[in-house]
Amino acid sequence: MSSDERTGLYVESTIIMTTVRVVSPFVLTFALFVMFHGANSPGGGFQGGVIAGSVVMMLAFAYGIDAAREWLDVRVVAALASGGVLTFAAIGLGTILLGGSFLEYHLYEQFISHATAYGIELVELGIGGIVASVAIGLFFLLAAGFGHAVDSPEDES
Amino acid sequence: MTLSVIEGVLLVFVLCCAIGAAVLRDVLASLMAFAAYSLGISIIWVMLEAPDVGLTEAAVGAGIMTILFILALANTVRPQENGLFESISVRTVVLVGAFVVVMTATVPSLPAVGAEGAANPVVSGEVTQYYIENAYADTEVHNAVTAVLAAYRGFDTLGEAVVVFSAGIAALTVLRQEVFA
Repeated sequence: MSSDERTGLYVESTIIMTTVRVVSPFVLTFALFVMFHGANSPGGGFQGGVIAGSVVMMLAFAYGIDAAREWLDVRVVAALASGGVLTFAAIGLGTILLGGSFLEYHLYEQFISHATAYGIELVELGIGGIVASVAIGLFFLLAAGFGHAVDSPEDES
Repeated sequence: MTLSVIEGVLLVFVLCCAIGAAVLRDVLASLMAFAAYSLGISIIWVMLEAPDVGLTEAAVGAGIMTILFILALANTVRPQENGLFESISVRTVVLVGAFVVVMTATVPSLPAVGAEGAANPVVSGEVTQYYIENAYADTEVHNAVTAVLAAYRGFDTLGEAVVVFSAGIAALTVLRQEVFA
């Protein structure tokens, strides 16, 4: 799909671009705070991930969806999504390998102190990665429109 | 149960937004009413001392969902309709009204907000008390919600994370794309 087909979606505005440029670092910092601080304050991986995903949407809103799509490396999005699932599963199944039950964090105590706190933190980060990347992915998929699904019948198997 | 002024205003605001989302004819206007409804509900969650839920509602309900709906709307043709409101059939009003009456009838059996002890079985329940008393000793995290999500009910949370992941994969499959972007 060429970009001129969707010019209606993007309006270049100095006010929006300046605002987003100023606000987005703070929003990303807040997202990371919510993600890392979920153990002691409201929030956690899910909420932080959604806020982190909304940073990309803000950038796309200000600078255009196609510009954001080019700027964002798809491998990073895919790595965040699958890496999150793998991290969570690995932490959970690792304790089974150590002879415990699923997600029995304190079995990691032999390798690292405060293993439970760090384990929960890693799980939250994994969830954050999944949620952020899926939110970004759904945003770009919806923005691309549904035309290509209909236009390319040769893809159907 | 007495309402403070802020709670009363919020409840009226949320109710108006919900009705607006249902009856406004223009889809974009209805969507805006829905986003405002989510924002109002998220503030109500915070006032009910459920900040985790409030944060999720604000970020997902008012934020991401609105953006995704607007994008979906931008990909469709928006018909120019006459009139501000949908025409409402009597049958729908009766059905929805009956549902609201039935749901409202259950409200008095809920414990009062902030009630303690035997008056509030949700707070004084055995499971809740166990989490409040043991969460920090067991998991080293102060937020009991995080302790339940990531430790006590960790297997459920893994399932939920995989559901979100699968939703992304499903969207890719349905839209016949190979990458997210």
